[in-house]
Amino acid sequence: MNGPSAMEQVPVGRSAAALSGDREVAASDYDDIAIRWYRPVAVAFLRRWLPWATFMNVVLLGGEWLRADSGGIVYAALGVALLGVLSVLLLGSEAPRSRVACWLGSVPLAVAGVGIGIASLVQSALSLYDVFSRAWLIAPAALTLWWLFAVEVRTWFLGRVDGPAAAAGLARHRRIAPRLESFGTHLLLWHAAALVVIPVVWILDVAVSPGNALGGAIGDAFTGEHFERLLTGKSFWLWTRNSLTVATGTTVLGLAFAIPAGYAFSRFKFSGRTQAMFAVLLVQMFPGVIILVPYFMVMKTLGLLNTSIGLILAYSVTALPLCIWMLKGFFDTVPRELEEAALLDGCTQVQVFRRIVLPLSLPAVAVTALFSFLAAWNEFLLALVFNTSNEQYTLPVGLASMIPANGQRWGDFAAASMLVSIPVVVLFVLFQKPLVQGLSFGGVKG
Amino acid sequence: MEASRDVVFDGVTKRYDDGTVAVDTLDLTVDAGEFLVLLGPSGCGKSTTLRMLAGLEEVTAGEIRIGGARVNDLPPGARGLGMVFQSYALYPHMTVADNLSFGLRMVRRGERLEAAEIDERVREAVDMLGLGPELAKKPRDLSGGQRQRVAIGRALVRRPKVLLMDEPLSNLDAKLRGQMRIELRRLHERHGTTTIYVTHDQVEAMTLADRIAVLDGGRLQQHASPLTAYHEPANAFVASFLGTPPMNLIDGVAGDGRFVAGELGITLPTHLAGASGPCTFGIRPEEVEIVQGDADGVAAEILGVERLGGESVYHLEVAGHSIKALWRREDLAAPNIDLAVGSAVIFPKSSES
Repeated sequence: MNGPSAMEQVPVGRSAAALSGDREVAASDYDDIAIRWYRPVAVAFLRRWLPWATFMNVVLLGGEWLRADSGGIVYAALGVALLGVLSVLLLGSEAPRSRVACWLGSVPLAVAGVGIGIASLVQSALSLYDVFSRAWLIAPAALTLWWLFAVEVRTWFLGRVDGPAAAAGLARHRRIAPRLESFGTHLLLWHAAALVVIPVVWILDVAVSPGNALGGAIGDAFTGEHFERLLTGKSFWLWTRNSLTVATGTTVLGLAFAIPAGYAFSRFKFSGRTQAMFAVLLVQMFPGVIILVPYFMVMKTLGLLNTSIGLILAYSVTALPLCIWMLKGFFDTVPRELEEAALLDGCTQVQVFRRIVLPLSLPAVAVTALFSFLAAWNEFLLALVFNTSNEQYTLPVGLASMIPANGQRWGDFAAASMLVSIPVVVLFVLFQKPLVQGLSFGGVKG
Repeated sequence: MEASRDVVFDGVTKRYDDGTVAVDTLDLTVDAGEFLVLLGPSGCGKSTTLRMLAGLEEVTAGEIRIGGARVNDLPPGARGLGMVFQSYALYPHMTVADNLSFGLRMVRRGERLEAAEIDERVREAVDMLGLGPELAKKPRDLSGGQRQRVAIGRALVRRPKVLLMDEPLSNLDAKLRGQMRIELRRLHERHGTTTIYVTHDQVEAMTLADRIAVLDGGRLQQHASPLTAYHEPANAFVASFLGTPPMNLIDGVAGDGRFVAGELGITLPTHLAGASGPCTFGIRPEEVEIVQGDADGVAAEILGVERLGGESVYHLEVAGHSIKALWRREDLAAPNIDLAVGSAVIFPKSSES
């Protein structure tokens, strides 16, 4: 099994070169190099991506284990084992002397993979998940099998590649490899995207399914009743108004404090500066639950329970630290010379800030505003504790009130969830450019 | 020109909180219409001096006067200055036109300018600097040279009493720097504004300045016209800082009309004949004459030659001292050198820091 033909290949080439003239020696040297460096593009691709397929099967194995599907566990485990051994074999084929063995070992493994995968599909009651799961065994195994019998792969494994063929193979590799790489990367990214999108699809399905129960296949029925009931009822609009008030108020109040504070921390030296910056962060170090009760007492004393103002105050305080630090970080990147130039141009310190620094910092301000708006829009715990009356519920609390211990209205809840997400999505789409700019900071240099 | 526009530094000192002294009791006067270059290595206090004058740094002690009035406590905008920064510091969110007129629009209530007056002044600057086609562009769409012009224009439209420039050419490439140097000098001759220019580049200092103030370690070393500073440096620091390659300096002892350093002995010319005691003898590389096979010269060994095309820098060893000579002829073998001592200088040892 030790591939005698592979061992013979290189010495034959060399001796042939030694017999001929100088120029042919040079050409043959190039052939040697080509032969040494050449790997069929399919092999390179499999070496890189079969481990990923194996990893994917490990993840799927975990999934099957959570589902407690004994059949699934067996198939996924077989997938891990087969693809894992295939990966190792292909990696092992780097040494020329073991190539034939690797090829001979790989073929039955790939065949087994395809066979087991297809066999597992020939049973009753297949779910979409089962198909997806098995596809991760069948597709890699089938691809491997197909490529193992492709001419250039087979000749390479059997060590029958001569110089010109290797050179041609290298050129082909350079042409095709980027496309295969891009395919693999996209496949990976699609999976990541699906992970995010599938729950949304699922909740959308619940929102448009008749009845108020969970479950049922996706896209089996359609109704607008949940949306209709929400939009014609009073509560949803009331909650929306409350949420908008609170979120807008929080953004405005938070920025009104964070912008001057961030600028001061960024530009001015004053005693207690370091301590103040640390103290601002200190608030963030405790989990929200710890300050929940004190907050409640304060709000009760001030008579701010069941008011928007109470929530606005609480949210602003929680959002401030991050806002201040984000803005400070951005102000730091505005060159000092710009401010000095403005001073010489006759600006006062306030004008310098208003006419130079602030316009330059708009992306960062936009990001910070968006951040505090979303934080207030999505917050649940404080809103739940501070508001006892249905009149004052914000959207998250209102949504939660739709799924009490009994008589849950899942359909309405799902529909409301979709509606609540709309402003968030719209904001993100609108602010995409400043968001990216603001998060990557320092776009000020002319 | 009226003397009231002079800039006066009167015993100005800058000490930072950590105790370092950036500028040490500086006394300096700038005449109206003069182009003064503050020259020195980095950390010599030249930028700090300029920033104190601009009002961007506090003055620790002493007094700065512009046009006879003490400005120590005036805000930067009230001092009637225009400044060009090293990084240009153009406002990135404004067009060239807005950058130019910003300072005019920021004038305090009561002295506010008519829109027509602002337009007029901006147009004047634009014409002078050839910025016409760029008016509507943002700074990021301009080339380095154009940004430089806008920065100069922005400083000039304010009709400043004094124009300050902080290493304005150091961000440009060598060719553009040469062009801008000539242009700056021409501009100054046209508008005649008193200008204070900070640089560490002695070529800029030599070509631009009416007078040079050489600073080192926060102290004024010499305040003189470029050629005076070049030919009659006040001390060894100035001598070594001006000129490429720098002046040859040899430590030794003078007495009886002769200067002796080890095996090297030089008969001093009449104007130096009075020197005595330990001192430093200085001679410019271009004053070192190379004479081949002349019995009067001193034997020298060539250590290396840098051929610059028009002329060559010879690295010589003369009686144990290394001396650089600038000479037009090439391919000299084991020359004798002759020191043209007529233009040499001598600094008493005590003047060295």
